[in-house]
Amino acid sequence: MPRGERRAALRLVAGAAVTGAVWCGLLPRLLSFAPVARHVRLMEERGVDPAAMYYTELERLPRCPAWLADRVVLWP
Amino acid sequence: MKDARGREVGLHEDLAAVVIGLGIVLLALAVTWQARPVSDAGSRARHPKGWPTPLAATVGMPGAWADAPLDAFRDKQGDLAAGAIVLGMGWVVAIVAAGVVLGGGSVRACLPGAILIAGLACLAYVLSGQKVVKYYNLEYPLWALAVGLFVGNAAGVPRWLAPALVGEFLIKTGLVIFGAEVLVSRLLALGLPGLMTAWLVTPVVLVATYLFGVHVMRIPSRALCMTLSADMSVCGVSAAIATGAACRAKKEELSLAIGLSLFFTVIMMVAMPPVIRWMGLDPILGGAWIGGTIDATGAVVAAGESLGKQAGEVAATVKMIQNSMIGLIAFAVAVYWAGWVERDPAGPRGTLAGEAWRRFPRFIVGFLAASLVCSWLHTLGPEQALWVDGATTGFTLKLRGWLFCAGFVCMGLQTSFRELAPYLASGRPVVLYLAGQALNLVLTLVVASLTFGWLFKKVVEP
Repeated sequence: MPRGERRAALRLVAGAAVTGAVWCGLLPRLLSFAPVARHVRLMEERGVDPAAMYYTELERLPRCPAWLADRVVLWP
Repeated sequence: MKDARGREVGLHEDLAAVVIGLGIVLLALAVTWQARPVSDAGSRARHPKGWPTPLAATVGMPGAWADAPLDAFRDKQGDLAAGAIVLGMGWVVAIVAAGVVLGGGSVRACLPGAILIAGLACLAYVLSGQKVVKYYNLEYPLWALAVGLFVGNAAGVPRWLAPALVGEFLIKTGLVIFGAEVLVSRLLALGLPGLMTAWLVTPVVLVATYLFGVHVMRIPSRALCMTLSADMSVCGVSAAIATGAACRAKKEELSLAIGLSLFFTVIMMVAMPPVIRWMGLDPILGGAWIGGTIDATGAVVAAGESLGKQAGEVAATVKMIQNSMIGLIAFAVAVYWAGWVERDPAGPRGTLAGEAWRRFPRFIVGFLAASLVCSWLHTLGPEQALWVDGATTGFTLKLRGWLFCAGFVCMGLQTSFRELAPYLASGRPVVLYLAGQALNLVLTLVVASLTFGWLFKKVVEP
């Protein structure tokens, strides 16, 4: 294998190892850290996906809440 | 489409994106209509996210996982869902191949690269599905860019991969499909107060931030100023993708805008609820403030819900109104760019409209066509609304997600760290983002206080 290709392969393997260590080691441990665990639990309980990019990706499509009309004039 | 030397061959990239994108939207609507429910077809309670569509089974995405990455390939019931995910990757390969064929290229030459890009897009989804990453709003475009950047810079781009690197085409096709989700009728969801909050603040912040970046901070790239302003004032990554494509932002500029938006979104998502509690704001006002200022939709709901159910509902609805402005803003940006920014004063003189049309990005026409047709269908009645919702939430949104993800992988593969360095070193984009967001925070609070807290507030009888 030429030297350039060997170095490229080594860089790829090293990057994959670091990614694996962070995603399979560090991040799962962070999940047991109390504030993180609380945030994740709250989001799961309420069915919220904070990674949604657009409103159609939300678990529940947003609608004007019925109670709002008692407190705000929506169409004067 | 362009060949390896950058020459235009075959069908223009924009037209190919329109043909394929609109074809997919029509397919989704036709199949969902064909499989419409025989009873309770107009019941929102029975079908909260629209009619179920058989096409949903043909496009799966890796899901959330905590400590075992393979859990990403299981559905919510714990059953293996790898088949649907592989089919989702198959859609990416098929659309890359269709685009290459329409552009006059060879399917055989692009297939190996298309399969690798689909695989890397799947890896990006798995990385973004880890619960800490997912629940702190580090969305998949960031990881798709990171995966592409890492592979491209660590190992380089082999020659066999080059024919499949059609990132811009994938993003444009994704945008045309995305048009089906941009429903103009949603603008009215929160009545006049919501309309005023969105229509007064968003365009003012967008234009002011853009002008500040161009004329005061003297950032050389107008496209970077526009993309940053749009993703900060409208709705984060989705707005950055739409306006970045409309003003032909470079891939490094789009990457930077997305990275900045996601970084500050995480900070605002965590910081705004305690600040609102400390200020003692009413849940309606707090929700409207969150909805109008935090970039990403999911982060808005997360921050709103952590204040309470009422604030969460208002925040999500205000954000939905801003979401619905993407089509109009992308159209306005494309017209402004074609008519004024890219106009060559020394070039041949024609009518402004004629010149603007010559340079106008054609895929925006497809995006608007999908948006207007689906908006019109949505207003026809409850059954038609459920039809459109089913076709989009069941199928097109997942497919455009795959296309955006694969498009960002391609962009990352084609970007060198050296090209990104000058943008990061100057620090000016960060200052522009912060200045624009500060204006956004103040203006949104003022207008939301005026509309929800004073002008349209009902007087409760004692």
